[in-house]
Amino acid sequence: MTKPYTLQELLVIAVAKEIRDHENIILGVGLPTTAGALAKTLYAPHATLMMESGIIDFEPLLPLNHIADAHSCRGFSYATDLFSAFTMTYRGFVDVCFLGVGQIDKYGNVNTTAIGDYYKPTMRLPGSGGAADFLSYAKRTVLTMLGGNFVNKLDYMTSPGYLDGGDSRDKSGLFPKGSGPAMLLTTKGVFRFDPETKEIYLAQIHPRVSIDDVKKDVPWDLKIAPNLSETPHPTDEEIDFIRRFAPAMSAGRELSLELTINNMMKKAKPT
Amino acid sequence: MLKKYSTYAGKRSPMKNENSKIMTAKDAISEFVHDGDQLVIGNYTVGSCAELIYEVIRQGKKDFTLYSQSGIFDVEVLVGAGCVNRLITTYVLRAGGRKGGSAVERALNAGTLEIEDYTNFDYNARLVAGMHGFTFIQVLEGVMATDLFRKRSFMGEDKFRVIKCPYTGKDLLTVPAANPDVCIVHVQRADKSGNAQYWGALGSVAAAALASKRIVVSCEEIVEHDVIRSSPHLTIIPAYRVSAVVEIPWGAHPTEVLGHYNIDFFMYGLFVMADGTADGLKAWMDEWIYGCENRAAYIDRYIHRFGSGILDGIKAKAFYSAPANYGSAFTTRWDREGRERNMGLTMEELEKTLRERGKLYD
Repeated sequence: MTKPYTLQELLVIAVAKEIRDHENIILGVGLPTTAGALAKTLYAPHATLMMESGIIDFEPLLPLNHIADAHSCRGFSYATDLFSAFTMTYRGFVDVCFLGVGQIDKYGNVNTTAIGDYYKPTMRLPGSGGAADFLSYAKRTVLTMLGGNFVNKLDYMTSPGYLDGGDSRDKSGLFPKGSGPAMLLTTKGVFRFDPETKEIYLAQIHPRVSIDDVKKDVPWDLKIAPNLSETPHPTDEEIDFIRRFAPAMSAGRELSLELTINNMMKKAKPT
Repeated sequence: MLKKYSTYAGKRSPMKNENSKIMTAKDAISEFVHDGDQLVIGNYTVGSCAELIYEVIRQGKKDFTLYSQSGIFDVEVLVGAGCVNRLITTYVLRAGGRKGGSAVERALNAGTLEIEDYTNFDYNARLVAGMHGFTFIQVLEGVMATDLFRKRSFMGEDKFRVIKCPYTGKDLLTVPAANPDVCIVHVQRADKSGNAQYWGALGSVAAAALASKRIVVSCEEIVEHDVIRSSPHLTIIPAYRVSAVVEIPWGAHPTEVLGHYNIDFFMYGLFVMADGTADGLKAWMDEWIYGCENRAAYIDRYIHRFGSGILDGIKAKAFYSAPANYGSAFTTRWDREGRERNMGLTMEELEKTLRERGKLYD
């Protein structure tokens, strides 16, 4: 019998499995770092992990605090700059990058800038950062949406997915052929894109989630893969790695923050 | 700490590792340099990749379009050996002033070589554009008043083009990106997977390599990956771009490699004296290029002919760079007592908390 797991652990593993050996990977903060570390340790020992700040080929020993976190590793192989990190993506040397999502539409176009009116936003999100350029030029992009929404029309289009669907992305002439979002991970399942229509569909569902649970988040009639699979139970090895590498990730943001504040308060000694 | 680095010399890593790109010069040139390639010499003025060039010549590779920022020693031997049809450069060698000659001059007069002249900046800019995946780049417009702009050879209209700046309306001069098929380059050290470290005059070395489709690196020494990892600021070519790594001590001789040896004026002088005539250059190449199957044989011949005193005299004395501290406070989330650094819990306590809070699923 295998160890019990947390939802966050399940999500990290689902993402890590998108990384193949010998690939060049741009990692962002949060879930992707842990996924990158897991993949490099268990599935893809020759993957080259990179951060857009120009830190190339690092072995994460700690979860990244931000995308310029040289404290998370013990040295790395190549120190370049942000400009070159993006142009190496532009030239096709980056296989996979990972991006978070605020809103996503049917064809994988992404908003990470603003909810509501751009000029008077209901909610101002971070913006593009590296997202628009990475989703433009990485061979594959893995999207993660933990707090965001499916929408019919984005309030602001930050990063280009499959545009109007079909061959519109390739036809635009702006992007490498065949590039674009490869998957979307949410707390309910894994979504992929139809090779012809480029419409997003549910490919894999997490345990204890029903198709109706997934559908109620989506404002159109979501397509479901005929061979819909269930996200597999993590192995002990996977769980142990994540829990040791990133215990706060296992616990989730809210709980780890609560435990941290309690602990730090106990330790704090006013002078 | 610093001393330790020198002990890495010659201690190569096991070759069976699947990520090892270590090859002999012979195999690397044979596999990655092809007839008709656009070939770029990665090094600029110093530290020329002499042995890789000699191997190209020995293998009789030909019909290159050759890029070299400063087409001196490297270009002379490649042109002298008949490997080059077209040359893109900024500066060529003339042996012995007015009286002397050069392989380039002879080949131009014989009609076997075409040349395209750029300034140092323009040449480098083409590689920088190529390195970043741009199709052209703005350069400095002063040359529009010169024959560098007006006299064109095989590149014709595409040597330079003028565009209007969309912001100022001014005429801007541009050059097209260069993405050579293959770069051969010599550096101080590399690891077996190809992370190449080079220091000293940076010139256009990184751009020449990174703009190219394939990269063959030779180095004075192969070092452990840990050496690279503790000095990533010295890496100019990341492993994932490199096709082959060749360890060649004295690999740039008679040119110089900072931290290893100075220029050998004696051998360089022999070459320059020979280079004035086709016959002279041929005799020099017969002895020092065709007559030596590899760099070890070349150095053996050198010592046999001239003794080891000259080489001993140009060996570098150490002047180490201060190490940069890449350390951080800790490298695991768990402290010495086994407690998570922020939450203060042991693994057992954390798992108990996860269970109590309903976070665990069977």
